Amino acid sequence: MKKLIALLLCASMALGMAACTSSGKQDPTDAPATDAPATDGPATDAPDGEKVEITYSYWGTPDEAASVQEVADKYNAENPGVHVTVMAIPNEEYVTKLNTMAVAKELPDCGIMNEGGVLDFAAKGLLADISSMYEGADSMPLDSITFKSEGQPVAYSAANEILFLYYNKDMFDAAGVEYPSATEPMTWDEFVNTAKLLTLDANGNNATSADFDANSIVQYGCNVDNWTWQLEVWALSNGGRWFSEDGKECTINSPEVAESIQKVADLYLVDHVAPYRPGLEDSGIQSTIAAGNVAMATGGTWNVGTCMNTAEFEYGVARLPVMKNEVTICTGGPQVVFSQSKHPQEAMDFIKWYMQEENSWDSLIATGIWMPILEEYYTDEALTHKWVDNPNFPAYEEFKPAVVDYAMEKAVSTCWYYIPHTNEFIEYLRGILGPVWTGEQTAADVLADGYETLNSIFLDN
Amino acid sequence: MKKSASIKSRKRQQRIADSSAFAVLILLALIAMLPIYWIFRSSLMTNNELFAWPPKLLPPNWLFSNYSAALEYFPFWKYLKNTMIIIVPSVLAGTITATMGGYAFARLRFAGKKFLFTLVIGSMFLPTMVTLIPLYIMWTNLFHLSDSFLPLILPYFCGGGAFNIFLVRQFVSTIPRELDEAAMIDGAGFFRILSSIIVPAIKSAMITVAMLLFVQMWNDLLQQMIYINSSEKFTIAIGLSQFKGSLKSDWSAIMCATCMSFVPGIIIYLIGQRYFVEGIVMTGMKN
Amino acid sequence: MSTTKTSVKQQRAALRKAARNNKLLRSENRAAYILLIPSIIGLIFLTYVPLVEVLGLSLFDWRGVGTPNFVGLGNYIRLFTKDPYFVDSIKVTIFYSILAVFGSIIYSFIVALLLNRKIPARGFFRALFYLPYVLPAMAVYLGWNWLYETNYGLFNYLLSLIGVDKVMFIASKDMVVPSLALIAIWLSGNLIVIFLAGLQNVPRVYQEAAEIDGANAWNRFWNITVPCMTPIIFYNLIMSLVTNLQVVTPALALTNGGPGNSSRFISYVMYQYAFKDGKFSYACAISFVLFLLIAAFSSLLFLSSSSWVYSEGGND
Repeated sequence: MKKLIALLLCASMALGMAACTSSGKQDPTDAPATDAPATDGPATDAPDGEKVEITYSYWGTPDEAASVQEVADKYNAENPGVHVTVMAIPNEEYVTKLNTMAVAKELPDCGIMNEGGVLDFAAKGLLADISSMYEGADSMPLDSITFKSEGQPVAYSAANEILFLYYNKDMFDAAGVEYPSATEPMTWDEFVNTAKLLTLDANGNNATSADFDANSIVQYGCNVDNWTWQLEVWALSNGGRWFSEDGKECTINSPEVAESIQKVADLYLVDHVAPYRPGLEDSGIQSTIAAGNVAMATGGTWNVGTCMNTAEFEYGVARLPVMKNEVTICTGGPQVVFSQSKHPQEAMDFIKWYMQEENSWDSLIATGIWMPILEEYYTDEALTHKWVDNPNFPAYEEFKPAVVDYAMEKAVSTCWYYIPHTNEFIEYLRGILGPVWTGEQTAADVLADGYETLNSIFLDN
Repeated sequence: MKKSASIKSRKRQQRIADSSAFAVLILLALIAMLPIYWIFRSSLMTNNELFAWPPKLLPPNWLFSNYSAALEYFPFWKYLKNTMIIIVPSVLAGTITATMGGYAFARLRFAGKKFLFTLVIGSMFLPTMVTLIPLYIMWTNLFHLSDSFLPLILPYFCGGGAFNIFLVRQFVSTIPRELDEAAMIDGAGFFRILSSIIVPAIKSAMITVAMLLFVQMWNDLLQQMIYINSSEKFTIAIGLSQFKGSLKSDWSAIMCATCMSFVPGIIIYLIGQRYFVEGIVMTGMKN
Repeated sequence: MSTTKTSVKQQRAALRKAARNNKLLRSENRAAYILLIPSIIGLIFLTYVPLVEVLGLSLFDWRGVGTPNFVGLGNYIRLFTKDPYFVDSIKVTIFYSILAVFGSIIYSFIVALLLNRKIPARGFFRALFYLPYVLPAMAVYLGWNWLYETNYGLFNYLLSLIGVDKVMFIASKDMVVPSLALIAIWLSGNLIVIFLAGLQNVPRVYQEAAEIDGANAWNRFWNITVPCMTPIIFYNLIMSLVTNLQVVTPALALTNGGPGNSSRFISYVMYQYAFKDGKFSYACAISFVLFLLIAAFSSLLFLSSSSWVYSEGGND
């Protein structure tokens, strides 16, 4: 016992002493930059003087992390002077982790980022300048997926993702309804009517029938994902905007925006053609059409490779229905170099290499999780064939017009490419929209009440 | 005559009361087990079966293969080892230092006792999240302990938390003072008294404290998340949170991992239970 | 003469005794400080210095990088006048805590009373009710999600069997806090164990005496068991209150503060500001207010305790 106490004493003394020296220095920014001990590899990994250690942070499920590590291993093999280690961070904690690491000046050298935080990180000076990345290249990343602050590019998305419509061909066949066209989008009313024909109750009546029982629905006609950021597309479709085009004004209080959100909510509330969804997370495809209980669902391209690949039915793709304008939005987490990196050049070389389509081809692009970022894949039909003409995708004739051309012709940037503080903005919006999905309040009311706060988050005052 | 009849009727009443209490208990137990059963059931189904209506009470096919699939990406043993590297020293140190502190507050007279005890009570009201940021800066910028288990372990060498100090103090107070006075007359010092009289008498309380510490650390995702960087050092809590992906959530795998993560807690409980329940019965608690 | 002699002797003895006592006191002092070194270090460097830092930081505008700007009480003023979440989050947290604290005290007391009877397989049942407490909390909430789920959840299925319309347990503004409190009640196995320990300590003699006096079961419970249990009830109340006022896990694991802002607890608001938006100093102001709130509620409970906690002479 005595020995133990003595031991404890020593340990705590040492701790106390060290802590004492600390308390004098309260300003965290004074603290010296630490030599980020990125990995603690085996002892044999002795410094051979040349090797540059790079840490690349990535979110994702364990299997995704494993495939990213494979890519990094390939780079390590090709570049003996550099060693890249992948730091896998659980998706839900990703922003938390980056924010704390930034405080301690412990950020990795480079990594992928959540779209909503990019401009804020840039404004804090946490992102290194990557403007030289595509200097003199013949094909640039699409302009719509370039993050810009004051017009200057600060980051490029690693992938292009757009929203479109997935549908279950078996359900259409069973109901005797014609498939949605891959080129000509439905109007919103046509969409709602089609959904009614595909919504069935326990007795097999569809939603147009007089005997239809809304309390015993076994198959829903549609799900329009109400995961908050995706709602921007309906505002645009209805002729409204969340923010003015120059990014100087928040216009989410316009009647068009309120109407667009209400129309989405009414699919469940009024028409009984969609399941109730609280709009909390991205499981719109997974828990609806992929689970086989919904006939049509809106979702992002990534679902081709993450959810629909295991679907036990044949599915098709089409453009989003149209309220007034034909439009979709695009997004994609960017690869960035953090300014706290000691090796910004090597880090940029790595992410540039990583963003080249051929290096993530097998794991991400050919599987349908990522769409390429370079314009040539959309404009050069040979390259499009190389990309889409494989069994992971629906038929080329369908996918090309409904997704590839759609992305080229109709996709506009999601607001976080040019508006700061969107994380906070969308978080607040998600909160106030809760009662809209349950029908306790109307979209017009909550937007009118919440506008002042939304605007002050946008203006950061 | 009358009396024996009333005893009889009272006995019958007693029997009725006992059996109805037992029935209520079984009902409550079934309700309490329902969520756990539901997680187990879900771990044996496919993702699509999970989203089916009506929900299936039993898995249609008992997919034990889900477990081997989950193990492929959920290195349970590695995570368990890491978790234990954090938990074992912390629980030991926390229990010992809490006992030391609790004993001092319960038995010894010293200057500033009231003040120190007030500080202890005051720190009970302080949520861990409040001091997370200053502590994180201290550990990483001052001690350069990033990607290390030490910031998670070392705090438990410092008293094991106010609640536990308080709990030990309560237990020590219930032990008759005559015991230590007798030992003191025999020439035992305070440390001897602590180790040879107090500790055996409050063994059960110490096991309670150890259990509380175990559960606390087992659940402390936020701090583990913040201090650990490399996946080589991930704990079970981080491993579980990793399953909810950016693009999809593999629910059946999450459920499998969840079920697996139940096992260590159950084992620890079963080991501790004997002392735990009996022990509290012996010493009890008084305020 | 002889009297003075003895008195001198007595005095000397008393002096010696005092010296011994003094020596004892000194060594007692020393022993206490040695034993308390770890706790004191913990209190200073892991609790109160960080708390002062939090208080200091809350007077600045600091977002994790760059130089902090002094803003005085600006953060606090903003919290109470302009913040879209804060005032509501206090209400929600208190509402949740009241439900969870009283619910779990009542539930665990009832279960402990049942377990305290002569029943078969007592050890098994005890383990069973304690079990939820030792499971990883995040995982437990994910499991409950599948019970509460609106479209495919078990509870709604059971309700549909008896012809009740779907209930949005965690999806409706009014239901979410009670639903989350129910999970907290389910998780309160630790309280059961402490209650059980207390129940075994209620002196049998009183019970038997009352029985002979003809008191019925209810009277015996109310007049003997409950008063004897008040110290334990008090301890459990404090434990449970402090834990529940800090609630954050259900919001992180299950509801993200929704639907609407109806489960946006104070700790969750703080977490969002600090770790999602990087507004660290603002979050520090929230955590300081939370600290004051918990301290205030606990002090109220401590103050009220003298009027209802029964103490048998007590010690110390």
